[in-house]
Amino acid sequence: MSRNLTSLSARKGLSENLFERIGELSEKEGAPSEEGLRQLAEEFLMGPANLYGAASFYDFTRPENKDIKVYACSGSACLLAGTQPALKARLGAFFREEEIGQVCCLGRCHENAAFHYQGRNYSGQDAGKLQDIVDGRHTGGQDQYEARAHGRSLLTRDFPSLDNCRHTLAGILARGPEAALSEAILSGLRGRGGAGFPMAVKMKSCREAPGAEKFVVCNADEGDPGAFSDRYLLEQQPYSVLMGMLLAGYITGAESGVLYIRAEYPEAIVRIGQAIAELEWQGMAGADILGSGFSFRFKAIKARGAYICGEETALLASIEGQRPEVRVRPPYPTQEGLFGKPTLVSNVETLACLYHILRDGGAAFAKIGAKPSAGTKLLSLDSSFARPGVCEVEMGTPLATLVDELGGGFRHPVKALHIGGPLGGLVPVGMIPELTIDFESFARHGFLLGHASVVGIPEGYPMIAYLEHLFEFAAHESCGKCFPCRLGSVRGKELLQKARAGECAISEALFEDLLDTLEKGSLCGLGGGLPLPVRNALQYFQEELKPYFSQTQIAVQ
Amino acid sequence: MNQHQVAFINDKAHEMREGETILSFIRRHHGEGYVPTLCDNPLLEPFGSCRLCSVEVARPGNGALKTVAACHTPVAEGMHIFTDTEAIRRLRHNIVELILTDHPLDCLTCEANGRCELQQVAARVGIREVRYPAGRNHLGRPKDESHPYLRSDLSKCINCYQCVRACDEVQGEFVLSMAGRGFDNHIIKGLDTSFANSYCVSCGACAQACPTAAISDIFQPAARSATETVRTVCTYCGVGCNLEVAKHDNTILSISAPEDAEVNHGHTCVKGRYAFRFYNHPDRLRSPMIRRNGQLEAVSWDEAYDYIAERLTAIRAEYGPGAIAGISSSRCTNEENYLMQKFMRAVIGTNNIDGCARVCHAPTALGMQRTFGTGAATNSIGDLQFTDCILVIGANPTTGHPVTGAKIKQQAMKGKTLIVVDPRRTELARHATYHLQLRPGTNVALLNMMIYYILKEKLEDRGFIEERTEGFEELRRNIMALDLDAMEAVCGVGRELVREAAVAYATAPNAMSFHGLGVTEHYQGTFAVMQIAALAMLTGNIGRRGVGVNPLRGQNNVQGAADMGVQPNLGPGYLDIRNPEMRQTYEAVYGVSLPSEPGYTIPGMFEAAAEGKLKALWIMGEDVVQTEPNTDKVRHALQQLDLFILQELFYSETASYADVILPAASFFEKSGTFTNGERRIQRVNRVAPPLPGTKADGEIITDIMNRMGYPQLTYDPATLLEEISQVAPAFRGVRWERLGRNGLQWPVAEDGTDTQILHTETFKLGKGRLFYIDYQESRELEKYGEEYPLILTTNRGLEHYNSGSMTRRTQDTDIVGEDLLLINPEDARSRGIEDGDKVTLSSARGAVSIRAKITDVVRPGVLSTTFHFPEILVNQITSDVLDSEADCPEYKVVAVEVEVRLREGIP
Ligand SMILES: Cc1cc2nc3c(=O)[nH]c(=O)nc-3n(C[C@H](O)[C@H](O)[C@H](O)COP(=O)(O)O)c2cc1C
Ligand code: SF4
Ligand code: SF4
Ligand code: SF4
Ligand code: SF4
Ligand code: FES
Repeated sequence: MSRNLTSLSARKGLSENLFERIGELSEKEGAPSEEGLRQLAEEFLMGPANLYGAASFYDFTRPENKDIKVYACSGSACLLAGTQPALKARLGAFFREEEIGQVCCLGRCHENAAFHYQGRNYSGQDAGKLQDIVDGRHTGGQDQYEARAHGRSLLTRDFPSLDNCRHTLAGILARGPEAALSEAILSGLRGRGGAGFPMAVKMKSCREAPGAEKFVVCNADEGDPGAFSDRYLLEQQPYSVLMGMLLAGYITGAESGVLYIRAEYPEAIVRIGQAIAELEWQGMAGADILGSGFSFRFKAIKARGAYICGEETALLASIEGQRPEVRVRPPYPTQEGLFGKPTLVSNVETLACLYHILRDGGAAFAKIGAKPSAGTKLLSLDSSFARPGVCEVEMGTPLATLVDELGGGFRHPVKALHIGGPLGGLVPVGMIPELTIDFESFARHGFLLGHASVVGIPEGYPMIAYLEHLFEFAAHESCGKCFPCRLGSVRGKELLQKARAGECAISEALFEDLLDTLEKGSLCGLGGGLPLPVRNALQYFQEELKPYFSQTQIAVQ
Repeated sequence: MNQHQVAFINDKAHEMREGETILSFIRRHHGEGYVPTLCDNPLLEPFGSCRLCSVEVARPGNGALKTVAACHTPVAEGMHIFTDTEAIRRLRHNIVELILTDHPLDCLTCEANGRCELQQVAARVGIREVRYPAGRNHLGRPKDESHPYLRSDLSKCINCYQCVRACDEVQGEFVLSMAGRGFDNHIIKGLDTSFANSYCVSCGACAQACPTAAISDIFQPAARSATETVRTVCTYCGVGCNLEVAKHDNTILSISAPEDAEVNHGHTCVKGRYAFRFYNHPDRLRSPMIRRNGQLEAVSWDEAYDYIAERLTAIRAEYGPGAIAGISSSRCTNEENYLMQKFMRAVIGTNNIDGCARVCHAPTALGMQRTFGTGAATNSIGDLQFTDCILVIGANPTTGHPVTGAKIKQQAMKGKTLIVVDPRRTELARHATYHLQLRPGTNVALLNMMIYYILKEKLEDRGFIEERTEGFEELRRNIMALDLDAMEAVCGVGRELVREAAVAYATAPNAMSFHGLGVTEHYQGTFAVMQIAALAMLTGNIGRRGVGVNPLRGQNNVQGAADMGVQPNLGPGYLDIRNPEMRQTYEAVYGVSLPSEPGYTIPGMFEAAAEGKLKALWIMGEDVVQTEPNTDKVRHALQQLDLFILQELFYSETASYADVILPAASFFEKSGTFTNGERRIQRVNRVAPPLPGTKADGEIITDIMNRMGYPQLTYDPATLLEEISQVAPAFRGVRWERLGRNGLQWPVAEDGTDTQILHTETFKLGKGRLFYIDYQESRELEKYGEEYPLILTTNRGLEHYNSGSMTRRTQDTDIVGEDLLLINPEDARSRGIEDGDKVTLSSARGAVSIRAKITDVVRPGVLSTTFHFPEILVNQITSDVLDSEADCPEYKVVAVEVEVRLREGIP
C-alpha cells in the first residue's frame, strides 16, 4: 500500500475510479494496452509501472490471460464433484487449449460443471449446450437452488415491499444515528465475513474517527470456493444488503457506499445495479433521503478476479487501483481506509443483518441464537448434499440438523466436510454430532465456522490430492507480499505433488516447520489460515496420509 | 522517572514511547542488529513482508504468547516481548530457508558479497542446508545493464519491496513496481522495461535500499574494499546533502546518503551520489601555467606565484587598486570565499570583489534585505512537514534542487496545496493544485494580481501588518488601482486562476514560499523578490514553523559566499563597507585600513575591462565565457585585460583567455564549510589529498597573500572560522568542533545555539517594509520582441551542473549528452520543425545551432534550453539586460526566433 498512490487515486475518487478505468482498458483486448496504461498513468500522475503492476495481478486483466476466452471453475466443490474433466473435454471441442483458463469458484457449487464465458456464468447442464452458447442462442441465466430456513428466518424470508421498507427507514432515520448504534450494539451482531468481529464496535470506531468524508464498503467478493450465500443475498435479497449499507453509513457518518462485487458473479452485479436505481428512483438513496438531511450514494464496482481482494485491506487497495496487497494494521480501515478516509468494511450478510436489526430492534436479534453468537447464519451446501442450496439457521443449531434435515443427507458417501472455505476446518463426518453452528463450538473443536460454506469430500477422494488442492489454491491466490505465504504455499504444493507422484516422501519435520511458518509468520489469514485444514487432515486422516510422509529426512530422488 | 510507561524486553523493563512500534522500541534499547529484518527501512513506512522481525508477545492480563511482527505492531504498556525464544528462532530459520529456495547460492561471486543483508541474516539464523527439493524459481531473470549507473539482477530479488517503496516514498518517481501475483511477483521498471528506458531519474534510492544485489549501482560492489568512509557535503546545489564517501587509498569508491542527515535523510540525487568521477579525471589541470607569447607554458607554483605577485603589484602601482578585481566562487568553501574577499580588500585594497551569486541570487539577497533586513531563507526545508500550502515561484526544484524537489513532491502527492508559478509545466507543476503558467518576465505583474485579490477579498492579516510592517497603505492604494485587464493580458494567466491561488495561499493556516532563478534572473528580479516578501508579510506568514520566504540557492555555497562578504558593497556578515564603524570591525582584525568605496559587480567588471579601466582580474572557479550572458561581450572584455588569473579544475572555455592558470582542487580534496540554502553551515571534510600538482583554492589564496607580504596563517577551517566569528555577527558562536554531523543554522549565538526560523519577534529592520512595484516589460522584449517573437528561457537539467565542467566528465553524459531546445508543438508546426531537427536559434546577439525537442512542457511562444554544453554555448545569444537593482543578468527572457537548419537524413 502506498500512501502516495492512495492520495493520487483519491483525487478522482469513485467517480472516475482508477480501478474501473484499468478494468475498462482491459475489456477490449483482455489486458490493457501499453499506450492505454501510459495515458492513464499520466492522468493520475502515477507511474505506468504502478498500473501495469495492478493489472498484472488479476485473473481478468493480466496480460498472460489475454487470450483466454472461457474460464472453467477450479473451486473445491466442482473439483470434488468431479465434473470438470468432462467439462474441459467438451470445452476443448470449441476452444483451443490456450483459450481455456481457470477461475476459482463461480458460486454454482450446488450443481457444478461451472464455467464462465463472455461475462456470464454457466453450470449444471449448460455444458451440453455449448454450441448454442457459442452461437449466442443460449445465454445461461439464473441457476435454480433452494433457500431454506430452520427456525426463525430473517435473511431468507421474502423481503417486504419497498413501501414497507420506506416506512421502516423513515422510522430509523427519525430516531437518529446514536439510537441506531445502540440497537446495533445491543444485537451482538458479529461479522459474517469470517472473522466474527463485533460489528457495532467497528461502526463506533468509524463514527468516532475524525474526518468529514467516510465510506461504507460492502465486501461482496465472496471468494471462498463453496460459498454462495452472499451471492444469494445480492441477487435475491438486494434491498436488505443495500439498506444495511445505507444504515451503516447513517451510523458511521459515511455518505458513500461501495459494493465490491466479484466479477465471477455477473448476475449479482446486474441485480444490484437495478436495485440501486430503484432505491434512487424511490428517493430512498441519493441526496437528502426521505427529507432526513442524510444523503447516501451507492457505487457498485466490479472486481477483476483475485481471491485476496476479499481481505479487507487488499480490497480497499484494489478499489484505489493499487495492487491488492494486504496492508499492515494499524492503521485499521476504520481509521484510515478507502482513499485514506475512515471506512467500514463489512460483509454482505453482516450488512443485511443490520437492516433486520434496526427494523426489529437489537434485543430481538440478540435473543436468537447462542450467545455470544447471536442471530441467524447462512450456510451454503454444495452438491454433495441431497438438497444443496442456501440454508438459514439460528446460531447454535446442531450441525447434524443442517446435514440431515436441511441438507437431506449426502448424495454419496462423504468422509469429511470442509466448512468455512479453503481456510476453514476439515470436519470428519464423525465429528458432525459434536458441533453446533456457532463461532464458539467450531473454535473449541479446532475448526472454523468462517463464512460457513459446506463442501463434502467424497469417501473416495484422496486426502493427499485434496491437500494439494488447498496448497494450490493458496499458491494461486496468495498476494505474494509476505515471505512465508508467497514461498511456503508453493513449496508445500511441490512437496505434496512429489509425494503424490511417488517421487519422494515428505519429511514430517519439514512439513511441520512449513505449517508453523505459515501459521505464525503470515501477514494475513490466507497464509495464516491454510495450516488449519491441513492439520485437521493430518490428525483425522493420519492413516490415509501416512504413506506420503516419512520421519527421516526427505528422500529426494 | 515514574511517569514513564514501560514494557518488557525479555523480562527486563524499558521505557517506551506512545505509538512506537515494537521494533523501534527494541532498537532504541538494544541497537540495530538485535532483531533481524529484511524489509524494514528507517526511511520507509512499516511494510511487514519479510516477517523476520517476528517476536512473541504477551499482553498484560492475557498470558497467552502470540507471534507478531515487531516492525508494524505498536508496543503497549506492560507488554512482555520475547525476541529470542526457541519458537522465534525456529520461525526465523524457516523463513530464511524458504527465501533460499528461490535464490542463487553463489555468494562468493556475488557483487553484494560482504554487504548483503540476506547473507548476514542467513548466517545469523544458522542455515546449514535447504531441505526443500528444487522447485519453481526466478533464477533465470536476465540482468539489466542498460543504465550507466544502475544495475539489476533480479534473480537475486527477495521481494522485500524496499526498492519500490524507496522510489515511491523517498523519490516519488514510481518507476518501480511489483507485478504479477503470488509466487510470480517480480519487480518491474516502467512497463516491464529497462532502467534506461524507464522514467528513472537515477537517484539511486532503490540501489541504496536493496538488501541484496538485485538492484545496485556500479559503484557499490567496489565499496566493499573501502577502508574508510568520510562524511562530506555535496557541491552540486544549495540543498547541501550530506554524502557518505567510501574510499580506499585516497580513491573514492562509492557514495551513499547517510540516514541521519537532517538535510537529506538518506537521499541524494544523481549528481550527488554518482557524478563524482570528474575528481581524478585525466582532464584535471595538473600544473600552473603562464601564457608567454600566446602559448601556455607549465611552470612551477613558485614561478606562478612570483609572476602573479609581481604583476599585481605593478598594476596596483600603476593604475591603483581599483584596476584589480576578483571573482570568487560559490562552489568553494566559506573559508576560501572569506579569504578571497580578504585578499581583495586587505591585500589589494579594493572592494572589487564579487561572486557568481551575482548571476543567480543577488536579487534575493537584496530584495530580502530591503524588506526584512536579512538576505536569507527565513525557514528550513524541514518545515515542509508543517506547512499547509507551498508556493513555488520560478523554480524547478525536482531538477535544480532534487532532494528538496522530491520532498515538495511528496507533500503535494499527499494532497497538500501546491501553487506553481512557472512558464514551463515542470514536474511540480504537474502535481500542482494551481499552475500559473505565466509569460516569462511577468512575475511582478502576476504577484501584483495575487496581492490584489488578497486585499480585495480582505484576506490580509491585519494584526501582523499593523504590528510588524510599514508601507501598507501606500501599497494598498496602488494595488487597488491596478488595471487588471492589462495585467491579465501581460502575464497570460486568467484572473480567476490567479484569484483562486491567491486565496489558497492567504487562507492556508501556514503557507510557505520557495523561489529560484526564475524570479531573480530578470530585469525586475529584485522587485519580484520584494513582492514575494510582501505576500508573506501581508498574510502573516513569517516567523513560525511552516511559513516564510525560502530562496532555493543555486550553487552549493551561494549563501555562504554572500555571508562571507563576496559582494562589492558588503563585507563578511553583511556589514556595510561604506560605514566607518563597520569597516572598523574588519580593520581591527585585518590590521590594515580598508577602502570605503563599493567596488564593481561582475557585469561592472566586464564593462570596466572593456573600457580599459580594469586591468587585472582573478577568477576562482567560474567559466564566465560559458555561463555569463552575451558571450561575445565577455570574450571582448577578457581580451582587454593586462592580467587574467584563472583558478580552475579543468581547461574551460574561459581558460583560453587566461594569462595564468592555477590548477585547483575539488571539494573532495579540501576541508571547510558550505552554507546551504537554509543557512546551515555544514562541515566539508577532505576525502583525499589534492591530486598531485594541484592545490586547494584556500591554500592558493593564502600562498599569494603571503607572497604579497600579508601574513596569513596556513589554510585551516577551524582557525578561519574563529576569525570569521569575530567579524560576522551571525557567526558569533560558530566553531569547527561545534558543527558536528548536521551543522548549525545561522545566526549562531555565542553559546552555540542556532536558529531554525528567522524574524520570530521582529525583523532586522525593526518593521518589515512593504513596497508597491509597478510591472515593467523587459527592455529585451521592448527592443527586439517584434523581430524575434519567441521568448527563450534558460534553465538547468537534472543530470548536469551549470557549465557542466564536472558533470560532463562523468557518466551523466550517457544519460544526457547535449542541450536540447524545448519547443511547443504549435510553434514547431508553424515553423515546420520536427522532433530531433537541428535548428538555428537566433537573437539580436547572434545564433546557435541546437537540436529541437517538441513538448508541451513549454507553452506556445516560449522556448527553453539548458546551458551545460560548450558545443552549443547558448549564452552567445542571451541578452545583457540586468536586474535593475542587483545587476543580475536576465537569463530567463531572451527574444529569439528559430528555424530548421538540418534534418537527419536530408542533406
Ligand atoms: C484471505 C482472506 C479472504 C477473505 N475473504 C473475504 C470475503 O470473500 N468476503 C468477506 O466478507 N470477508 C472476507 N474476508 C474477511 C475480511 O477481511 C473482513 O474481515 C470482512 O470483510 C469484514 O466484514 P465482517 O466484519 O462483516 O465479517 C477475508 C479475509 C481474508 C484474510
Ligand atoms: S499471507 Fe499470503 S495473501 Fe496474506 S499477505 Fe501474506 S502473501 Fe499475501
Ligand atoms: S534510481 Fe531512483 S528514480 Fe530510478 S528507479 Fe531507483 S529509486 Fe526510482
Ligand atoms: S530488488 Fe532488492 S529491494 Fe527490490 S524487492 Fe528485490 S530484493 Fe527487495
Ligand atoms: S545536487 Fe543538491 S540535491 Fe543533489 S545530492 Fe547534491 S545537494 Fe543533494
Ligand atoms: S521487518 Fe517486519 S516484516 Fe520485515
